Amino acid sequence: MMDYQHQLKIQAYLDGELSGPEAKEVSDWLTGQPDAAALMTELRQTGEALTGFEEGLKLPESREFFWSKVSRGIQIQENRARADAQAAPVGWLIRFRRFLMPAAGVAVISLLALVVTRETGGGPSNPAVETSLADGGGVVYHDFSAGATFVWLSYPPDSDSSEEDDAGSLDQ
Amino acid sequence: MITSRLLSKTTVLAWFLLAAFAGGGAVRLCAAEDLKFQVQLVWATDDLKPPAGKDYKPVDPKLKSQLRALKWKNYFEVKRIDFSVPAGSTKKIAISEKCELDVRDLTGSNVEVVLFGKGKEVARVKQALPKGEILVPGGNAPNETAWLAVLKRIE
Repeated sequence: MMDYQHQLKIQAYLDGELSGPEAKEVSDWLTGQPDAAALMTELRQTGEALTGFEEGLKLPESREFFWSKVSRGIQIQENRARADAQAAPVGWLIRFRRFLMPAAGVAVISLLALVVTRETGGGPSNPAVETSLADGGGVVYHDFSAGATFVWLSYPPDSDSSEEDDAGSLDQ
Repeated sequence: MITSRLLSKTTVLAWFLLAAFAGGGAVRLCAAEDLKFQVQLVWATDDLKPPAGKDYKPVDPKLKSQLRALKWKNYFEVKRIDFSVPAGSTKKIAISEKCELDVRDLTGSNVEVVLFGKGKEVARVKQALPKGEILVPGGNAPNETAWLAVLKRIE
């Protein structure tokens, strides 16, 4: 049984990859090894059979032109990477900016929301109004045009002192 | 190249300033500030003058305009009280010997106002009270007059 190295040697011999002395050494060795000679014959026949089926691949352009395009592409990419590296700020600045962008956005939104809430009174001038009156005859009236809400009570707060002072039943 | 570097630094600086400004503004606005209110005790009447011996002054034209939904021709200011309510808390104001207003700051510009008469709760109103608007508990008084407690937010 032939080992793997000898098989490789035979293949290299067939492909003409061995130097003169090595080729002669393999040639001599093959004469005394019928198994090796058989393998070489098989490999040669297989190679010849496959060669007949190979399709020639032809480039639409010359070899030199093709490789010059590849070279130019690599050069452009290298130049671009170098320019980006020079233009880019240092790493911590990039990280800081990544943090700042959402932070600034949140801050602006918060500021606007707070300003709107504080200055305009929270959107609609009269949002949900809850009223409860202990006085059954009480009425609540909203005059939106005047920005006034009236809570009118039939209950006089100080009726017992009203006889003394019409206006100032509440007056002290 | 230099320009792009400069622009990049400028952009970062602009973001930083914007964040600092906005953050600062938000913190300032978030800070708990007292809310300032004013309550005016008003006498509503068709008479041209206040009662004899009383030097009540007519209310300012703006307030009179806001009271246009009411039927009376003249409104005289009996008393005015300025007060502040710490954010999120409650303040009780005596507007007369037997009448009190309880003003509570809710979120935003919302307030809860409770009117007490002789120590008993008479009315409770929860609504927005932004600057410029008024909340007016009131009622009829003898001789076709009325009393009003005009509550407004000053700041």
